Amino acid sequence: MATTRTRVSSFSHNVSSLKSSQHPGLKNGPNGTTFISSGISDLDKILGGGFSLGSLVMIMEDAEAPHHMLLLRNFMSQGLLHRQPLLYASPSKDPRAFLGTLPSPGSSKDDTSHKPSHEKDLRIAWQYKKYFGEPQLNINTNNGGHHDYCNDLDLRKPLERHFFTSNNVDCVSIQNSPNLDALKDRCAEFLAQFSRNEGSISSAGRIAIQSFCSPQCKYSDMEWHMLSFIRSLKGMARSSNVVVVATFPPSLLSPSCSKRLQHMADTLLSVRAIPDEDKELAKLLTGYQDMVGLLNVHKVARLNTQVPVILDATTFSIKLQKRRFLVFECLNQAPVDGSGGSSYGNSGVCSTSTKAGPLDF
Amino acid sequence: MAESVCRSLRDGVLEGELAPALTIKDSLSSPFGFNVFSHILVQLSSHIVAGKSQSRGMVIVSLSRSPSSYTGLLKMNGVDVESSKKWIHILDCYTDPLGWKDKTRKSGDIMDPSNQILSSYKTVKDVNKLFSVICDLGRGLVGENKSRFCVAIDSLSELMRHSSMQPVASLLSNLRSHDQISSIFGLLHSDLHEERALAAVEYTSSIVASVDPFHHSVDGQGSYIRNSSEPNLTKGKLNIRSKRRNGRVRVTCEEFKVGPSGISFAPVSAVDGAAVAGLIPKVQFNLQLSEKELVDRSRVVLPFEHQGNGKPIQIYDGRRSLEESNNETTPISGGKKEDSGRGEIIYFRDSDDEMPDSDEDPDDDLDI
Repeated sequence: MATTRTRVSSFSHNVSSLKSSQHPGLKNGPNGTTFISSGISDLDKILGGGFSLGSLVMIMEDAEAPHHMLLLRNFMSQGLLHRQPLLYASPSKDPRAFLGTLPSPGSSKDDTSHKPSHEKDLRIAWQYKKYFGEPQLNINTNNGGHHDYCNDLDLRKPLERHFFTSNNVDCVSIQNSPNLDALKDRCAEFLAQFSRNEGSISSAGRIAIQSFCSPQCKYSDMEWHMLSFIRSLKGMARSSNVVVVATFPPSLLSPSCSKRLQHMADTLLSVRAIPDEDKELAKLLTGYQDMVGLLNVHKVARLNTQVPVILDATTFSIKLQKRRFLVFECLNQAPVDGSGGSSYGNSGVCSTSTKAGPLDF
Repeated sequence: MAESVCRSLRDGVLEGELAPALTIKDSLSSPFGFNVFSHILVQLSSHIVAGKSQSRGMVIVSLSRSPSSYTGLLKMNGVDVESSKKWIHILDCYTDPLGWKDKTRKSGDIMDPSNQILSSYKTVKDVNKLFSVICDLGRGLVGENKSRFCVAIDSLSELMRHSSMQPVASLLSNLRSHDQISSIFGLLHSDLHEERALAAVEYTSSIVASVDPFHHSVDGQGSYIRNSSEPNLTKGKLNIRSKRRNGRVRVTCEEFKVGPSGISFAPVSAVDGAAVAGLIPKVQFNLQLSEKELVDRSRVVLPFEHQGNGKPIQIYDGRRSLEESNNETTPISGGKKEDSGRGEIIYFRDSDDEMPDSDEDPDDDLDI
């Protein structure tokens, strides 16, 4: 009874163990896929391991909040730490300047602070327990094994310059280009380096495209052009060892275009702003003070299989732990009147009674 | 007095960030956008003249009103326009935005050369040129050093009428990222444009102040019926959404009243909280523990946990409770005979290792 076994709970995916002989940035996933880390350990856990190589990740921005930049920063930084080549496109005049804001791994002493309290052994009141000496510590193998795969990135500490002054990083500005053809060619060149063949994966690459339908861009009203760009990018990426992350603000597109882009994504996330100092929200959620926004996971990529991923929860709160580390947590809500039913997926639902009154049965 | 908005425009921009940009949005049901715009213009101008703001000068791009109306407005509110140190410049895109007068009249210079604060702009369709002209004028006001100036655009709607959404959006973002601009603000009439154009302007601005009618209900039809008979011509609500740096959105609401002397603001008490419910899914129970609860749970001492700390370990063997064996005076366990005199009831327990009887408290073995 007092022996320790690494208990794999029946509710988690049985992800195969890390092959340390391979690159530390890659992890084997189910169905012959390979994962790379998103840079945020909570997101990797939610998605079942990370982003699959060959998939297209789309992040829907909120016009009022810059949270998609946090996700992009972590993604790009993690890739540079693993020496994975990066192609970054943005509508600003000087995309290289953004590299100066990428986070660096924080000191590892602080990151285990909140983990043991969640995974503590079950305490049993058993009168003979005291005869068996010290209870064995549940050694959390997850932290040790994933130390290289996903770093805890400190958003206040900028990444050392030598990571991105090498030839690893290519930056493209899409502000002044009349259409997306130039970007498509650059992506095609980049992806050609990583085409998948039957052998083992030598290295993986990352493409990060920020706000490609931003209104500053000259092609921003050419919706079909943007759709065909994403479609061809997805096709090229599927047969290569690259993860493409693209962000777009759905409010700036027509509803049909936005829906088409959402359907094209393999993994679809959205970030949303929350009102500041809102008393209703503070009553409804615990931990509201630390929250900066909400993350919704709409779709998780499943390559080589037809079995979809069904998540326990799809809405997470975005918090900056100690104002440095990005964490996603499940929402802790006070018991509410459950007559409305689940409303995630609908963004504009306003019910008339939102008071947390006594539960009606 | 729309204080927070004026304050953020006055404080301006921090190094390395985009300049704050305010968009004032009004509509036909509450057409007081220009009142709000002029109020902010006057406030910011007085801050500039007094030296209290980050910007040292202001460039007004006037598209929907004549430049003289601005100078008149400022003079009426006590702001010194013709001071010795030039701080304001008005770019006149109202008189001849498309350059027609130049084409029809071949001779004579219509512009008054003695007017220091006015320059005429004739190609409103060329937004790139407008951007460079604004920057040059501003630089002319504050100099080449680190001083900054602010920009007021009278009507973004007019600008979008002459060009289109994309050039205007890129003008706004170029202005925001210019290193000599402290803040910008502009007026927009929301019913003149498509949703996407409005969304694009809101996307590029950091504060959106929408001027709404006084009785603004969720049900569109109700307000129409109520308001069409008696439109409220003096009062309204100003709903401000400002994007904060940490990613949250500050939503404030003020009531305003327009009178002959200008516009006055008052804070409003009731805030519509129904929109919040749509953000989070309806989960009924809180299945997780907060930090405090976790700490408290770890502090609970379970039975038997505190034994073995030096005191002798006591094993309960099922017969009697620990407390009773220590300090009982009258034993009540069922092994004794009942002595009552003549009639005796003799009860012998069948076996010693049976489970405790039902008359014994089964919780006795919990040593808490």
